[in-house]
Amino acid sequence: MFDIATTLLGSIAPVLQATGNVGTFGAAIAVGLAALGAGIAERGIGAAAVGAVAEDDDMFGRGLIFTVLPETLVILALVVVFLTL
Amino acid sequence: MSAARGTANYEYVTSRVRSRRASLFDADDYRKLVRMGPGEIARFMEETEYETEMNALGSRFEGVDLIEYALNRNLAKHFDDLLNWADGALYGYLARYLRKFDAWNVKTTFRGIYSDADPSEIEDDLITAGELSETLLSRLVDAGSIEEAVDLLDGTLFADALDEAYELYEQESLLVPLENAVDRAYYADLMANLPSEPNRAEELYLQFLRAEIDFRNLRNALRISRSGADIDPAEFYIDGGRLFDATTLRQLASNPDELVARVRESVYGDELDATLDALAEADDLIAFEHALDAALLSYSDTLSNRYPLSVCPVLAYVLAKEREVDNVRAIARGREAGLDPEEIETELVIA
Repeated sequence: MFDIATTLLGSIAPVLQATGNVGTFGAAIAVGLAALGAGIAERGIGAAAVGAVAEDDDMFGRGLIFTVLPETLVILALVVVFLTL
Repeated sequence: MSAARGTANYEYVTSRVRSRRASLFDADDYRKLVRMGPGEIARFMEETEYETEMNALGSRFEGVDLIEYALNRNLAKHFDDLLNWADGALYGYLARYLRKFDAWNVKTTFRGIYSDADPSEIEDDLITAGELSETLLSRLVDAGSIEEAVDLLDGTLFADALDEAYELYEQESLLVPLENAVDRAYYADLMANLPSEPNRAEELYLQFLRAEIDFRNLRNALRISRSGADIDPAEFYIDGGRLFDATTLRQLASNPDELVARVRESVYGDELDATLDALAEADDLIAFEHALDAALLSYSDTLSNRYPLSVCPVLAYVLAKEREVDNVRAIARGREAGLDPEEIETELVIA
């Protein structure tokens, strides 16, 4: 895992040096990782929300809100993008 | 995260189960029910989640029988649902646990055959929530003798234990060895084949079952020690609990005071403290057994609150649902027999 990460970084390092745009690259990583985290979190919440909705239709709104709560992570990551631009 | 838990979908199943758990009858409903006659209870149930079953069976049965069969059928439906939802390891735990109803069905059939009951009557009392197929169950019910029934069960998990117990049955013509064999086979299977170093999920499953087995052993021990009968408690002992082993149980059964002291010091002490005090004062075994059931329910609730994403909430729901069915049945039968509401209320177990 670690090897792959270092080779990957090693292979894009020349590109970064050529463009000189390390900040943009870092921001992209930040948003990507945040989205990944939000996705993992939503997996469990979504499953539970669907279960709750299946039992009781009134739970749809609440289930939806809880399901997208982790999206706030991605929004915060977007703030990072604007800060680095 | 998902790799650590196998493919079990705890989130989905526990959220559905919690929703169903919330729709079980509460203390208020019971207070209303104990004041109703069988007809009113049936009407009340038609307005709750038993509606489908009441309508399906309404034309064939009436009165308390209708209530009883609707309860059984509803129970089977809910537990089949659980199996439909569950995946992976969770399915495995649940399937094992729900074989409880296989054990129940097998015992019911034995008793029916033993007492020469009508096959259709036996069939009405079966709960089709376990693993045995309906074909096998109906062949069991139609079996002419216990021997035939035991042969039919060849290949199920009860087969070995029943073969051994059948010889005893032939000697004594008593059902007890057969029934004990069925129960033992069920409990042995519950805990069998789990790795010696269980992971977290298996650990919780075990913790729940140990509690149930402990409570069962405790109840048997108390019954034996109270009745003063000369029975070897080890005969009814179920292996796997953490409170007793066969030898200590035998010693403690002859000495109720020590037994109570032992329980007080155990992990269940907190849940059972008030109950044990009541037992010491009232000397009423039935009330104590109900209190034990309530304590098991509240312990299972503690476990399921402490470990929300585990098998515990699901098993706690199974227990609570069974308890509800038992309660409603007790109310209906009690009203039919003309008991006072107060008397019936003492028979209920409300956690």
